[in-house]
Amino acid sequence: MRRRGLPWRKIVVYVLAAFFALWIILPFYWIIATSFMTEADALSTPPDWIPTNPTLDNYLAFIDPSGAGALLGSRAAEAIPYALLNSAVVASMTAVLNLALGISAAYAFARMKFRGSQVLLMVYLATRMVPGVAIIIPFYLVMRSLNLLDTYGALVLSYTTFALPFTIWILKDYFRTIPSEIEDAARVDGCSWWRMMRSVFLPIAAPGLVAAAIFSFMTAWNEFMFALYLTSTANAQTIPVIAANFATDLNVSFTSMAAAGVVAVIPPLILVLIFQRLIVHGLASGAVR
Amino acid sequence: MSTATSQRPVSARRKSGSGMYGRLGEGPMAYLMNVPALVVILSLIAFPIGYSFWLSLQRYNLKQPGLRRFLGLSNYIELFGDAAFRNSITVSAAFALVVVSMTIVMAMTAALVLNESFFGRGFLRSLILLPWAMPGVVNGLMWRWIFDAKVGALNGALASLGFIDSYQAWLTSPVAAFFIACVAEVWNILPLAVIILLAGLSTIPNELYDAARVDRANIVQRFQHVTLPWMLHPLLVVLILMTMTSFRAFDVVYVLTGGGPGDATNVIALQTARTAFAFTDFGRGNAYAYIITLVTLLISVIYISFLYRRGKVDV
Repeated sequence: MRRRGLPWRKIVVYVLAAFFALWIILPFYWIIATSFMTEADALSTPPDWIPTNPTLDNYLAFIDPSGAGALLGSRAAEAIPYALLNSAVVASMTAVLNLALGISAAYAFARMKFRGSQVLLMVYLATRMVPGVAIIIPFYLVMRSLNLLDTYGALVLSYTTFALPFTIWILKDYFRTIPSEIEDAARVDGCSWWRMMRSVFLPIAAPGLVAAAIFSFMTAWNEFMFALYLTSTANAQTIPVIAANFATDLNVSFTSMAAAGVVAVIPPLILVLIFQRLIVHGLASGAVR
Repeated sequence: MSTATSQRPVSARRKSGSGMYGRLGEGPMAYLMNVPALVVILSLIAFPIGYSFWLSLQRYNLKQPGLRRFLGLSNYIELFGDAAFRNSITVSAAFALVVVSMTIVMAMTAALVLNESFFGRGFLRSLILLPWAMPGVVNGLMWRWIFDAKVGALNGALASLGFIDSYQAWLTSPVAAFFIACVAEVWNILPLAVIILLAGLSTIPNELYDAARVDRANIVQRFQHVTLPWMLHPLLVVLILMTMTSFRAFDVVYVLTGGGPGDATNVIALQTARTAFAFTDFGRGNAYAYIITLVTLLISVIYISFLYRRGKVDV
């Protein structure tokens, strides 16, 4: 089949591969590089493509807003540590609540035959389709009357509704890959159902649980619209809300805006790098079927 | 992957099922195990949707609580004469159209490339996932900085390459701002599309390509007669997922352009949130929200019924 002459197929593949690599790396590189620049370097024309006088000041400003060269927009910088804490708490609580609610439902779908299970699965799938903007107004009013505005509770509850259907679908698929003979064996050995779940089934299902937890964590970490309208102070404002403030506040420097962006992207980025295979698997199976 | 275990002999299934879940039996027990998830989902999704509809039938502005009253469908009827609403629907539809077509073309190309073997494939496969991890807000910040009128990287690069003489204020031009918002959104959602398509490509048996080669099909014919038919289902999934995602776009646009310049990028989600929270017009805001729900629901019904027909949804 190979004809002589240039290996066109290889050339095309490499050119396209280089294009996609640059498409991802260049914008990403630019925000990271900017975050290490001094304001003067960042504003120079033509731009310095590499930080010539690399500095950590933009990051140090988050810890000590008054020091570190007293940057512009130190009030926005002050909010960063609180926002990171809020995001971490909200995202972790969302992940835990999702697993707590999702495991039993997914187990039922994976192991039991029951009337209406198709319909129930469709209900879960359909709720995944409801756009956030369609429910945010009633959500806001309900949270207002429950006095939950500007608390973790409002955010965790809303993120759980987004993530739970997906959690159930991922776990259901993962649980089915575990042979039920393992459970039978535990039963024969006299384990109670609860003990079997705790000491046999769930440890084996750990990769699926981790994948589901990561998805809910990232949903919560990255979400913006609900965080914007359901929170108002450092009590519960999450990192995307603060990062957006950096964009709309004209007093904030570009370099500290870039640093805020980098700080906001680090946790999900680390999760993706560590759990790449699980995530790819989860996304593919959760979305394709 | 789920079919492998569901083909266990019926007897084994029975044995593991009966008596295992106490006196209740399997059916009721299964429902009991779904109760916590159902309670949360029904109270936090179904109830708000119903409540939202009820509110959309009222005049309800938080600034004028005394004037709250039932209006029937007039909020909806007014929408059609509302220029802001018509504009945001148009912007959203155009946005979805551009984003989805760009995503499909780029994702299919990327998936085909990643399906080849070449030096650095593993690296590119990891890399392609990165934008998926980026919060939409950060994505918006990133592109705003790149397209900045004074110090943006794009201006700098184009000027030093000699393509432009003077720096352009990209984000103040309605047309440019619209396409920049599209590019930013595509950057964010491309990884999901690539992963779904790549998973689809990996299920195509190699024998089909071998057979096509024996029949002297060239690369275009092989794509047309082997790859595409196999990829119809994953492509449709991507098409619908991306349509829904781009139709509800909010965070990228909010940070990048704030809906401007003018109302050139004022997508429907932005318009809805603004109506409800900036103008505190909850009645009309809910009518907006309901239109979005109906459109999305329509798309998802098509999605689900297609999957259902193809027998792709197993239980």
